[in-house]
Amino acid sequence: MIRFEQVSKSYHDKNALASANFQLNRGDMAFLTGHSGAGKSTLLKLIMLMERPTSGKVIVDRQDLSQLSRSQVPAHRRKIGLVFQNHQLLMDYSVFDNVALPLKISGYNERDSGRRVRAALDKVGLLDKEKLSPQVLSTGEQQRIGIARAIVNKPKLILADEPTGNLDPDLSAEIMRLFQQFNQVGVSVLIASHDLDLIQRLPHPVIQLNQGRLSGPLAVTGH
Amino acid sequence: MAFFKSKPAHNASRTRPESSSKRLLREHKEVAISSWRRLWHTPIANLLTWLTLAIALALPAALLLLLNQAQHLGQQLNENSHISVFLTPYASQEQGQALANQLQARSDIKQVTYISADDALINFKDTSGLSDVLESLTDNPLPATLLLEPTDSALTTEAVAQLTEELRQLELVDQVLVDMAWLDRLQAILRTSERLTYSLALLLALGVLLVVGNTVRLQIENRKQEILVIKLVGGTDAYLRRPFLYAGFWAGLCAALLAWVIIQLGVAYLHGPLRTLAQSYQSDWQLQGLGLTGSLILLACGCGLSVFGAALTVGRQLRLIEPK
Repeated sequence: MIRFEQVSKSYHDKNALASANFQLNRGDMAFLTGHSGAGKSTLLKLIMLMERPTSGKVIVDRQDLSQLSRSQVPAHRRKIGLVFQNHQLLMDYSVFDNVALPLKISGYNERDSGRRVRAALDKVGLLDKEKLSPQVLSTGEQQRIGIARAIVNKPKLILADEPTGNLDPDLSAEIMRLFQQFNQVGVSVLIASHDLDLIQRLPHPVIQLNQGRLSGPLAVTGH
Repeated sequence: MAFFKSKPAHNASRTRPESSSKRLLREHKEVAISSWRRLWHTPIANLLTWLTLAIALALPAALLLLLNQAQHLGQQLNENSHISVFLTPYASQEQGQALANQLQARSDIKQVTYISADDALINFKDTSGLSDVLESLTDNPLPATLLLEPTDSALTTEAVAQLTEELRQLELVDQVLVDMAWLDRLQAILRTSERLTYSLALLLALGVLLVVGNTVRLQIENRKQEILVIKLVGGTDAYLRRPFLYAGFWAGLCAALLAWVIIQLGVAYLHGPLRTLAQSYQSDWQLQGLGLTGSLILLACGCGLSVFGAALTVGRQLRLIEPK
């Protein structure tokens, strides 16, 4: 699903990622850990095409991302469900409209989009909150709306950047269970997190990032 | 996990059988309506912007309207203008008539009217109110006159000057009077005003572009977070541009409608005094409003300029907002 080949990214001569090789197979779920500033965000940004690598090749869903022009970036992003640490919800939109945003962009009509949004909200257990503003919800609920928005398009790949960063352990475990459920139906999931306690209790491979270098079971040495 | 299983991503097209053109039309309709509604979130600020745009549109439109009608008036006066040819006292009535027929045959003359000395005297008595004084005269002091009306193509300054010169050479002709100099001046004034108006229109159109551009820039700034999120979930540039272009369209339309009202009010206000002025020159000229064509042109210019102004800004501003 995701393949990094000798990928480096440097900002002002400082390496955020150095010759990274790793592979996440279709239907796999993995964690990406490391100190803040170790390059976790950079790695996710390269997959989302928010950044381009300085050198090396990033391949997502068999597509070499360096082949994609600026105008092809939106279509690439629509294939990926993205969950943020700070959830990135629009406070002047209702819960429903926040979740419906990816569908609206893809041009779904109201009827189809309504059905899908409710299914996604049902999945994260917030079906009864669709008319509210995200502002009146708790942090955990806001994060679950962010997840509903990420899955509403039924992506093949979900990326999450510190999805439990602001949550207490119980809520964090609940969020992780949601991701595991998506993974069980064949969605590939990559979660950047520094919540080591939680990660170690889960049966998924962990990629370690340390000063831009990768290590762990998925890190491919040579290819 | 029925959610993912029931409708996998590659089956998405089955749930939306809509054709792409129908979908685009629906999307445009939705954006048009939502951007119209958004206008009323900040009605006062929008009204002020529209008024600014309306004044920028109304000023050149009103000047063009006045100019256009003054040109019509000028043409009308031009058509009524003629050359007076005074014959020598020795010319007999037959000679005068013969000359009139001879001139009538020329290609640059539309109409020749022969006024005999007697007719001229009668005319003069009727119009001057000096009949008593004129009665006491033994001789008729007035000469016979030919009134020449040049053809429209011969109404240029050069052609008229040449014709006048030729007439002066004629033996029976004593004097030639051309009352067209002031018309030349009028035409020159109109041509100057025309250029001034066009320059002003150009500057104000630029003003419209700048005002709309700046408004759109502020709107984009206000919705920065929304734009960022839309970019992150894969919104295309076209999708992001659309609401701002529609906002530009609505602003242009509202401003043009306001400009229309301003102009029609102005016309109504000026109508009376201008009519009195025209009547004092024996003209039945009246100041007309914009009419259907004029109104449509005004609306088209307002909307077109405004959308163009928005388009100029929106692409560049949207590029500046990239998720980091």
